[in-house]
Amino acid sequence: MASLFRSGLRLARNFGTKATVLGPHSSITRYSVPLCAKYSTDVSETSSGIIQPTEQIPAVRVSPEIVRQKLVEYGNFVSECLPKFVQQVQITHTNELELLVDPEYIVQIISFLKDNVLSQFTNLSDITVVDVPTRPCRFELVYNLLSLTYNQRIRVKSYTDELTAIDSIVEIHEGANWYEREIWDMFGVFFKNHPDLRRILTDYGFDGHPFRKDFPLSGYYEVRYDDETERIVREPLEMAQEFRKFDLTSPWEAFPKYRKPAELPPPPAETEDKK
Amino acid sequence: MASKISTGLVGLAVEANPRQKLNILYNSILSVVSKIPATASYRKYTEEFANQQLKKLDTIKDDVQLEIDLGPGQFEEVIYNAKAELRLARKMISWKPWEGLVVQPPPGQWDWP
Repeated sequence: MASLFRSGLRLARNFGTKATVLGPHSSITRYSVPLCAKYSTDVSETSSGIIQPTEQIPAVRVSPEIVRQKLVEYGNFVSECLPKFVQQVQITHTNELELLVDPEYIVQIISFLKDNVLSQFTNLSDITVVDVPTRPCRFELVYNLLSLTYNQRIRVKSYTDELTAIDSIVEIHEGANWYEREIWDMFGVFFKNHPDLRRILTDYGFDGHPFRKDFPLSGYYEVRYDDETERIVREPLEMAQEFRKFDLTSPWEAFPKYRKPAELPPPPAETEDKK
Repeated sequence: MASKISTGLVGLAVEANPRQKLNILYNSILSVVSKIPATASYRKYTEEFANQQLKKLDTIKDDVQLEIDLGPGQFEEVIYNAKAELRLARKMISWKPWEGLVVQPPPGQWDWP
């Protein structure tokens, strides 16, 4: 039991390692093959410096450069196969692949990522929304997927505004059910074809969508037990101290690399007198 | 492959003749994918994959070696994945993802911060 646990840990920590021995054939060990654009599931290849562990050679974590290169290859593969759906592909500095997708085609792309043999992102880790009120489509939908066979994660991002509905992916991933209910409750993003879209975290008669950036921290109503009426009453919020907003921004520039160049006025036209 | 009693995975029964099933599956993937235009990358990669797997099925006679070479996991998992790919290929014909991008994102949508 302990050896299974230890080997399970190794699988979780390393990438391209010997997985736990399954099935009655003890001579067959399952290798999680690193994600790559080539459909080469040929385990005997030591492609690009990844050494498969044996009983003599221990499993070594793959270097970040190789991981990044594999992810870039995979990202190119997806964008080549699905140019209609994928608007942009990016990779963070921590080697996380993100696909930026047209909201009309979320079901298609999640289907592709789940069914395609090279991808096999069968595990839905999370669905969330990021509220950026300055944008016209303020809600940025984020789907986090995990591939168990290839030990790889991917993020699919899309966008919507307050009024546009999004297709639900419950038919593809059952686990999306409660995540989408939470998003509906907290942000107000409606999901079409969801089997049961109702509130999940807020109180029964609650009005509003709490995780939106324009919803105040303490809310609008407070709830207390009233002795006279002997029931819970809901009253507009009364705070002992008025809300204080601290300006916690640092005096130094936060993101110097993302500085937008200031638009300078065009230089004055040279006059002929200058000769 | 009569030597296996169980796959060790809940819900996946042992396949009596995986080679035949895989042959049928990969050939049907090829026939489905031939319906999409030849310029599409998806077709190119899927055909490459299916042909590679079919070649392995033909050349490798030893069942144990084949299970290792054919792909990550046991025969039953490979069959499951092939079925999923076949389902996907059929949907791809109607979705037509090889056409170019239709909708551009709203300006400034993906800028960060």
